[in-house]
Amino acid sequence: MAESDISVFLVRGVLMVSMPADPDDPTVAMLQEKVLGEMEAHEAKGLILDLSKVETFDSFFARTVTETANMISLMGGKTVIAGMRPAVAITATQLGLNLSAAYTALDVDRALAITQAWH
Amino acid sequence: MTAVEENELLRLLVSSVKDYAIIMLDPEGRVLTWSPAAERLKGYKESEIIGQHFSRFYPKEDIEKGKIERELKVATEEGRYEDEGWRVRKDGTKFWANVILTALRDSEGRLRGFGKVTRDLSERKRAEEQMHRQAQEILEMATVPVVQVWDSILLVPLIGTLDSKRTEQLMERLLQKITDTGSQLACVDITGVPTIDTQTAQHLVETISAVRLLGAEVILTGVRPTIAQTLVHLGINLSNVLTCSSLKAGLRLAFQKIDVQVDAKSGR
Repeated sequence: MAESDISVFLVRGVLMVSMPADPDDPTVAMLQEKVLGEMEAHEAKGLILDLSKVETFDSFFARTVTETANMISLMGGKTVIAGMRPAVAITATQLGLNLSAAYTALDVDRALAITQAWH
Repeated sequence: MTAVEENELLRLLVSSVKDYAIIMLDPEGRVLTWSPAAERLKGYKESEIIGQHFSRFYPKEDIEKGKIERELKVATEEGRYEDEGWRVRKDGTKFWANVILTALRDSEGRLRGFGKVTRDLSERKRAEEQMHRQAQEILEMATVPVVQVWDSILLVPLIGTLDSKRTEQLMERLLQKITDTGSQLACVDITGVPTIDTQTAQHLVETISAVRLLGAEVILTGVRPTIAQTLVHLGINLSNVLTCSSLKAGLRLAFQKIDVQVDAKSGR
């Protein structure tokens, strides 16, 4: 998947990314690079990671998401995971996904509401 | 009554009966006689079906499994074979049929053919399936009831022992309902759960984590003293789960969380 296929954009001081339905490993790794770069460039308050389209969730993706949330937190930001699907949530739980470093929201709209409460 | 008259009456009987398709097969299973009811049921005209083998009324899977031969064999040996199953019409559509094959032997005991009586039971089958489905739905609803009690508050009143199958269903239904309704909070009430073991507790914890991943939160309510004791003795860590001893307290907490205030008009 070409790098331009995932866009990271800044909304009200928060970075926003929407993951494609079936992201492969390079895409997932690329996401991390790109998000951290943008964090630095914009001094963003944090990241909203929209997973509403994601249908498959493997251990690499799970680990990258956890790591990215931790890295963002080290850079002084916060992460909101938005719109995770039930089936993905079940898999993620079975994979032992630890998202203590991240907030979760039912959809991007609510995620944005959470980020707007940050200062 | 003469034999001719008797024959005529018998022929009339077979051709007039509407609810049963009565036909005859030769000893190898080829169609010997046809009737209006059979034409109505199966779609073939008399001219196109006489002499054809009766296996064309069966779905391909049945033919491959050797059902035709088995039916003829049983009917030949025992004199009779009864079956209920899918049959195929000329246009390829299926119907649910009750079929009785009867071996026809003459006075010397030679096999002359088979009588085949077919009845269309599709209506009954449909009704049965619907009843079964409804029963299933009621059972599922009773196993894991998920009710919306307020905007963005779901209630799951669990009653009776929780086995792993039930907790699995709970997880699936609750997660689906949360996404469908966009509810932020789910009160899982275990007042009616007599005991809890390590496995179910673990399942509950998993469910709570999965709900959190969706962006919602579970309030575990109705944690009675005995359940609290069990959970601690089992070493189940619920420290980052919202728990309340009663559903009342849980609902109050839920209202607080979504900034809703419920006031009595008078009194307290």
